[in-house]
Amino acid sequence: MTKYFVKLRYYPGDPLEEIRERDLPNLARQYGVNISYERVEKREMKDGRLREKTLDKRIEDISQEVITVSAEEEDNFSNCIIALYKKYRCPRTPYSLLGSNEAGQKIAKKLMAKHGGW
Amino acid sequence: MKVLALNGSFRKNGNSEILLKQALMGAEAEGAEVEILRLTDYKIQPCRGCGLCLFKENVCQVQDDDVNFIFAKVDACDGMILGSPCYFLELTAVVKQLVDRCWILGHKMGKIKKPASVIIPYATRGWIPYVSVQANILLHLMGLVKINEATVCTQGISEVVLDHEAMDLAYSLGKEIAMAIREKDFIYKGEAGVCPCCHDWLVRILKDYETVECPTCGVRGKLSIKDEKISVQFEEKAWAKSRFGPEEQYNHFTYHIAPSKDYFLRTKEERKSKSQKYREYLPG
Repeated sequence: MTKYFVKLRYYPGDPLEEIRERDLPNLARQYGVNISYERVEKREMKDGRLREKTLDKRIEDISQEVITVSAEEEDNFSNCIIALYKKYRCPRTPYSLLGSNEAGQKIAKKLMAKHGGW
Repeated sequence: MKVLALNGSFRKNGNSEILLKQALMGAEAEGAEVEILRLTDYKIQPCRGCGLCLFKENVCQVQDDDVNFIFAKVDACDGMILGSPCYFLELTAVVKQLVDRCWILGHKMGKIKKPASVIIPYATRGWIPYVSVQANILLHLMGLVKINEATVCTQGISEVVLDHEAMDLAYSLGKEIAMAIREKDFIYKGEAGVCPCCHDWLVRILKDYETVECPTCGVRGKLSIKDEKISVQFEEKAWAKSRFGPEEQYNHFTYHIAPSKDYFLRTKEERKSKSQKYREYLPG
């Protein structure tokens, strides 16, 4: 298990720009971290709009894009998180870091307040 | 066609009421049926934050007050005029109390469209920075589209009748609402303001010191200074991110609020044990 590990859960409408999976390896190289990407899509087209029932569903099972960042070095980890917040803005909800380890979550939360706390 | 006026002033025949009635006379002249409600005549309990309205559509735990009556009146009207004095930088507390109870209307946001205007009498110039914020939030939550807004500098009880321009303005706002209903014309007719969505003049500097945001709509833009004039640019794609747009509203309720029930239930035991000492400390 790496020292710093965080899952950033972006729900539909959360990222300020489209998260392109192909952009993430560059960020990983630039900051010396590991990044993986997972997309959960449960929305269905209804009357021309994408719709989904999320009440009484598990947080992990609803539509979302999850960027997972892990690193051994705090600076690398932090700088990558800042870059992600700058690009997409920080995740919106109190449960958007669910599945992170404590050390990673602590840094990701602190950086939300400083770099994305709006 | 029905035009409803909501009055956020306690004062009978005060400036807010006079201006609202003047506006209703204008609406009536255009053929509208009119009605006015003084919010302080009704019992509006504070929101209890129980979340029932969010997790069970249209259920509010507070049943022993008049909020549903007020919402039914708003539902039944075709256009609305909100009036409130500004005593201390913003609208009165009763307006905010109603705003907080609008959670239950969240499911309607963006689904209905009716024109609305706002009239705000105030006493001292420069003491009204937040009045549009509250008004805009209330109108958005009620599914209304603001087509105009007027602030009127006036002070003592009923003094506004001495201000012929203000009275003419109120009358024309009332006529305008009725015409907007008739012609289904929801184009904003007031001062443009800075925000392209709510037309307020407020911007908030974000912590990156590069971005500014309309605090009400959450629309982001860039600030620049040219020829010693401040300018705020909002990209059109940013408009679509207004928190009161129908898709953003849908996403907010669907992805930020509804799933919180799962988190709430998952953390039940931990919450219970960690909050126990607060139940015991200074019990209320």
